[in-house]
Amino acid sequence: MRNSGVVLILTFIAKLISQAAGVSAPDKPRLTSCRSPEKETFTCWWEPGDDGGLPTTYALYYRLENSETVYECPDYRTAGENSCFFNKNDTSLWINYNITVVATNALGKNISDPVEVDVAYIVQPNTPENVTAVVVDDQGPFVRVSWEKPRTADTRSGWITLLYQLRVKQEKDKEWEEYDAGMQKYYNVFSLHPDKEFMVQVRCKPDHGFWSEWTQPTYVKMPDYIPRERSLWIIITIFSIFIILILTWTLNVKRNSVKLCLLPPVPGPKIKGFDKQLLKSGKSEEVFSSLVIQGFPPTIGYDDLLVEYLEVYDNEEQELVLDSKDLSEVCMKSKSLSDCDSGRGSCDSRTLLLEKCMEGREGSGSDQHQYSQHGETSCTSTESSECQGLEPGSPESSDGRVKTWPVVFSSPQPHHHYQVEAVKPVYHSVPEILNRSSPHAMPTNYHQLHHQDIPQQEGRFSKPACRHSQSYNQFNLDGLDTPAPGVSPSRSLEYVEVQRVNPENMLLLRPLSDPNREPEGSDYAGEDYSKVKEVTSNNILLLQRDTYHQCVDDYSQDLDSQAGQCTTQQPPHPCKPVIYQSNSGMPQEGMRVMGNGYVDSTVLMPSY
Amino acid sequence: MSRSLKQVAVLLVALLCLDLHSRVGSAPICAHGPSGCHVPSLADLFDRVIQHSARMHSLSNDLHSEFEQYFLPSKNHIGKIYRKCHTSSILTPNGKENAQKLAREELTEVILKLLMAWRDPLFQLHQSMAHQQDFNSFSSNKALEMGDMAHELRKGVEKVAERMRVLGMLGNSVTGLSVAEAMLPISDSGEAMSNYELLYCFRRDSNKVQNYLKILKCRIVPEHDC
Repeated sequence: MRNSGVVLILTFIAKLISQAAGVSAPDKPRLTSCRSPEKETFTCWWEPGDDGGLPTTYALYYRLENSETVYECPDYRTAGENSCFFNKNDTSLWINYNITVVATNALGKNISDPVEVDVAYIVQPNTPENVTAVVVDDQGPFVRVSWEKPRTADTRSGWITLLYQLRVKQEKDKEWEEYDAGMQKYYNVFSLHPDKEFMVQVRCKPDHGFWSEWTQPTYVKMPDYIPRERSLWIIITIFSIFIILILTWTLNVKRNSVKLCLLPPVPGPKIKGFDKQLLKSGKSEEVFSSLVIQGFPPTIGYDDLLVEYLEVYDNEEQELVLDSKDLSEVCMKSKSLSDCDSGRGSCDSRTLLLEKCMEGREGSGSDQHQYSQHGETSCTSTESSECQGLEPGSPESSDGRVKTWPVVFSSPQPHHHYQVEAVKPVYHSVPEILNRSSPHAMPTNYHQLHHQDIPQQEGRFSKPACRHSQSYNQFNLDGLDTPAPGVSPSRSLEYVEVQRVNPENMLLLRPLSDPNREPEGSDYAGEDYSKVKEVTSNNILLLQRDTYHQCVDDYSQDLDSQAGQCTTQQPPHPCKPVIYQSNSGMPQEGMRVMGNGYVDSTVLMPSY
Repeated sequence: MSRSLKQVAVLLVALLCLDLHSRVGSAPICAHGPSGCHVPSLADLFDRVIQHSARMHSLSNDLHSEFEQYFLPSKNHIGKIYRKCHTSSILTPNGKENAQKLAREELTEVILKLLMAWRDPLFQLHQSMAHQQDFNSFSSNKALEMGDMAHELRKGVEKVAERMRVLGMLGNSVTGLSVAEAMLPISDSGEAMSNYELLYCFRRDSNKVQNYLKILKCRIVPEHDC
């Protein structure tokens, strides 16, 4: 009791003295880590605590799993200060080591916390060795980094499996570029900048363990591969030039459409026949001459344009039709011969008229036809009058020769649908009256020309014209003798010739083909028209004939402006002027003598 | 009555079929001869097996880490005395020299023993993990996968052994492991090991297996990665 008390007091005093002196027991050391480089040995390091001012010794003790035997560290030196190295004999895998470190000094000792260690899980290999980086210029310069395994690691027997890793960067870069190499001992690094220096480091790790330290940096310099870049630029330049050429060629080919697209043409005024140059020169007459349309306003077909087609059926015509049923039918039949003008054409044709008269006699009782055109109607009436007139003159008609006086009112443009004022023919074919009878031997057919009141021409329709003509053509066939045989019936044109004018103001006609006639030149028959030689001051037409003929005095009575149409011709001889008298005052100036001798009474026609 | 008999008969037939199926071993695919199939070489077989064991080990490692992280936060386990793993009775080389001293046959046998020893404990592990609410499904799936892997790995190693035997690399001293030593994970104290202990032990044993396989491979077919 006393001893313990004394001991306590002494200890306390010692402590006080030691504290006053600054020495104490050591602090607890601490085991920092235990590592095995090759899974065959391992090393543990500890950290000593405060030694308390006194020299302190450290001892490491370990205990194996499930064993109470405590062993001390076999080697304190190999691994350096504060370390304990376990060699192969002392190392057992897959067993837990319970390791503690004890610090001891004069005043006491201290035991560190125990650490459980299983060697299989504390493997940290050494760094790889012999790291080499070589520039390979095979397919683009790249760096081939190769190394060797750490010397201590036994991968050959398969005891350890190492995985490698490398990193690359330039000297000035901050970040490393890491690559995993797996279990191989080389690696190709691409995409390094040319003409730069790089540093390479490698490390390794076992499949279950810790990474090793990085190797010392290995420097490698990339070569300068400007030639490759240059060739690339060359290729790019060539390619762009090629593309530009293609574009240019395409534009050239399509230059028109491009021009159209970019610069659309501004439409300018264009007048046909208008010459700008002339305008600029200042000659206005010539400039505007081209604008003048020849033949405008239309002088001929003028009325055609104005007139609408009208179909008029009135009773008078019907009566006329009834009278001449046969002829109307004939007229219709022969209509086909004419072109598209209204019946007038057919009626205008002299032959047709003659034929109709013949046929009309033959075919009696034909049905009545309706006429859609006035011309036919009128012509029918004309025909009827003529034919009927001829009828009594049986001797003449028996031979089939029709001596009529066809009045030709033909319009220059035969239109079906235009009721042209046919009263304005371009030319007048002077109807010829076939003079059947010679004044001496042959019976003479007298055609009396009656002057009838010509109804005022309405102008619009050709009907009145034909009526008008009708009036002319009403003549009586008196004493038609049988014409001399030999006179062939007229097929196409049969003209009558005015032999003479008897005192009763009657035209004595005879057919042109009258054998009694003095033989004349063939051209006689061809000459159907009379030529006006001159116009006397008394408004007398002096007609002229080329060949000698019997001078026949003919005259016709003109009513008014239509005198020209219904005049008969016949200047038999130039020596005998034919005198035409016109009742109505005809302005001389109204007649226009055309160059070829034909009378153009177009001007004479009253304007409608 | 007849209907129920019918149903029972159908059930019996089905069960028989299943049972038969379970007993029948798998027929080789290349029944028509080696020309129709690509027969993997021994090196390929080894590679496959080693890869398999690596995967298995990583799984066990993950599970162990999860256990340590979530269920044993304190470091009181240092004071714990681990119970022995049930496989501690199996003599396994604990060093490189020891492992290299072993013959191929012994090494193969060790591997097979280890794998065989873990067939049932892994199943139990999965069962217990699935039942406990502490684990998420992910962990229990891992445990299940681990058990399947161990099973497949065993089969693979058996195939390798068979191939080696065929090639004459293995002597006849390899004892047939047909009689599986189904060791129950009962420690000396007779108590069942906890999940953590099982995981701990299995992590170590899977590492052993992987290491032994690598040694075996580099000893037999050293040209690949050795």
